[in-house]
Amino acid sequence: MKIVLPGDEILDRPIHMENTFVENNKTYTAVLAMLHDDKLIPLEGLWYPKVGDKVVGRVEEDKFSIYEIDLNGPYSGLLISKFVKSPLLVGDIIEATVKEIDRYNTIILYKSRKLYGGKLISVKPSKIPRIIGRNNTMLKQLIEGTKCNISVGANGYIWIKGNNIHLAIKAITKIAKEAHTGGLTNRISDMLGVKNGETTTNS
Amino acid sequence: MEKPQLIVNGLRLDGRKPDELRPIKIETDIIKNASGSAYMEWGNNKVIAAVYGPKEALPKHTGDPEKAIIKCVYSMTPFSSLEEHGRSGPNRRAIEISKVTKEVFENIILVENFPRSEIDIFIEILQADGGTRAAGITAAAVALATSGIPMRDIPYAVSAGRVGDTVIIDLNKLEDNYSDADMPVAIAPRNNEILLMQMDGGLTREQFKKALEMIKNAGKVITKIQREAIKKPYEDLINKYGAKYE
Amino acid sequence: MNDYLKELISSGLRSHDRGNFDYREIKIKSDVIKTAEGSADVSIGDTRVLVGIKLDVDEPMPDKPDEGNLITSAELLPLASPDFEPGPPNPESIELARVVDRALRSAEAIDMKSLFIEENKVWSVFVDIYVLNYDGNLFDASLLAAMTALMKTKKPIYKDNKVIRENLNEYLKVNNIVVSTTFAKIGDILILDPTGEEESIMNARYTIANDGNNIRAIQKGLYGSFKEEEIDNMVEISFKKYNELKLLIENATK
Repeated sequence: MKIVLPGDEILDRPIHMENTFVENNKTYTAVLAMLHDDKLIPLEGLWYPKVGDKVVGRVEEDKFSIYEIDLNGPYSGLLISKFVKSPLLVGDIIEATVKEIDRYNTIILYKSRKLYGGKLISVKPSKIPRIIGRNNTMLKQLIEGTKCNISVGANGYIWIKGNNIHLAIKAITKIAKEAHTGGLTNRISDMLGVKNGETTTNS
Repeated sequence: MEKPQLIVNGLRLDGRKPDELRPIKIETDIIKNASGSAYMEWGNNKVIAAVYGPKEALPKHTGDPEKAIIKCVYSMTPFSSLEEHGRSGPNRRAIEISKVTKEVFENIILVENFPRSEIDIFIEILQADGGTRAAGITAAAVALATSGIPMRDIPYAVSAGRVGDTVIIDLNKLEDNYSDADMPVAIAPRNNEILLMQMDGGLTREQFKKALEMIKNAGKVITKIQREAIKKPYEDLINKYGAKYE
Repeated sequence: MNDYLKELISSGLRSHDRGNFDYREIKIKSDVIKTAEGSADVSIGDTRVLVGIKLDVDEPMPDKPDEGNLITSAELLPLASPDFEPGPPNPESIELARVVDRALRSAEAIDMKSLFIEENKVWSVFVDIYVLNYDGNLFDASLLAAMTALMKTKKPIYKDNKVIRENLNEYLKVNNIVVSTTFAKIGDILILDPTGEEESIMNARYTIANDGNNIRAIQKGLYGSFKEEEIDNMVEISFKKYNELKLLIENATK
């Protein structure tokens, strides 16, 4: 494993993939990343929307037949009003799924659900996979350890609701900062007082 | 003021050799709100750089359907120099520096990945001692590299100049005031592509070649400092906990 | 259009049957504005730039009490191009003025000490660049016009706290002639003296001012980059062009 920086060659052949670029038939990383064998694991990176991504967003504008959704990036999400169960207001927070991306980079959303109350925080999208964890393990223990409702968007927005919101934010911040390190699941479970997916009693 | 003798017995007034850089220190992630940020001390220069975005280009008509637009603001605090209180608002010098700095990063950022968006680069000179535009570009490059915004390379910038017959690197304010030439240059080190070059004063063609050579040699040092600063916070944690490869 | 132009340039066939390192026709006329102390009207192809020089009594800069001041500004008039907009100076016009200023200053074109009047009183030389028609290469046209105008500038007389601007005989003391050469990079091709059309498709721009012996100012512009060999090549050509441009100025200021 080594850390590679923008402009470092990672392959001596051209492979087009996210967070890289090709020049003179070689592949270079475009972001700060870890390179393990031939796998590039971005340490910092933006969200490149894909159909099926689950996102969290905030209603930015109500244009009568469509809602424009702030998705923490340069491109807005669009929700068609008639497919939304109950009307939304500007400022409402929703989770939804990416249905398609049009040629203007507008992100068409569907399967939306309004998230009532709570707080919206934002982390770098490259940290999201670690916040969810393999088979949802990290997210599950976050929810169990804090008793919060948490909805995580691939776009880097996270919605949290519950009494332990500060603990949840602290844990999420720690995961984001240490996303690239080993043993993190255990450190977070220690922090939250969770063992093997079960809450331990403090004595 | 009488022109001071800038080189005595082959050494400059601050004790440096002609081809010697001032000490450079860089720390990243110092502005939590930014997508990427860096604080730099380069000799007596103190510089903050912060990057925001990509975000929706505003006003909307400024957006480019083919690429992200880069906006850059270079500015000096009114207390950043030994002279009188600086005037607020950008002066002509700052506007020109903002323009050429913007052009450096238009080259470096993969702007075609984010049509209609905008990326903002802010460079604030807190304390100035010559070579602030070079320091600003070098710091902004580090800030960008920690932002996740895709880029082709990590550029560096440094000035070369001339005092009498001697070509020198990295002029401080006093040297800048009395030198016979000053040439700030920014380079993308991977292919040695020249991204910024300005010059005033006087250089023969031979001195010009020598200055460029000196800049490229200094660039090796600066690049190393930039790379170490970018990696450090991540490496520290890996050394503590080990790396996770997924 | 753009692709067609790019193709022509990359196959070495520039419009107007021009070689890649040839200037368009350059015309220089001095003393075109009688109300100014000095002036020049320069055209390079369809680019046309007017420079007017005025001198005013001023305080010297604190660090140079025995020298006059040089103040250069540039206006990209809306009448000069459909792309120029009215309003305060934009970064492009500021850059243009500052590069011309740096070239004049670095080359010590004007004898700044000859502008000293008495303690705390010196002449400020105002170089105002007005672009009348834009068809590329404003840098070279502006410096040619500024240089020519300065050489034909008559110094006003300061007498009994009054400035006399009529019936003047004494010329401003000019010590050195500096000219610039501006290149555009289109794809991988370098060309000298780009037209407006060529500038609209260039990825980088490079201006070198020299006085025959020394490089006096450099300004690289736009997002594109240069290899060191390309820079060497442009510097070489810049020095080769010096005598040709200097002769044009001298002929216009005889």
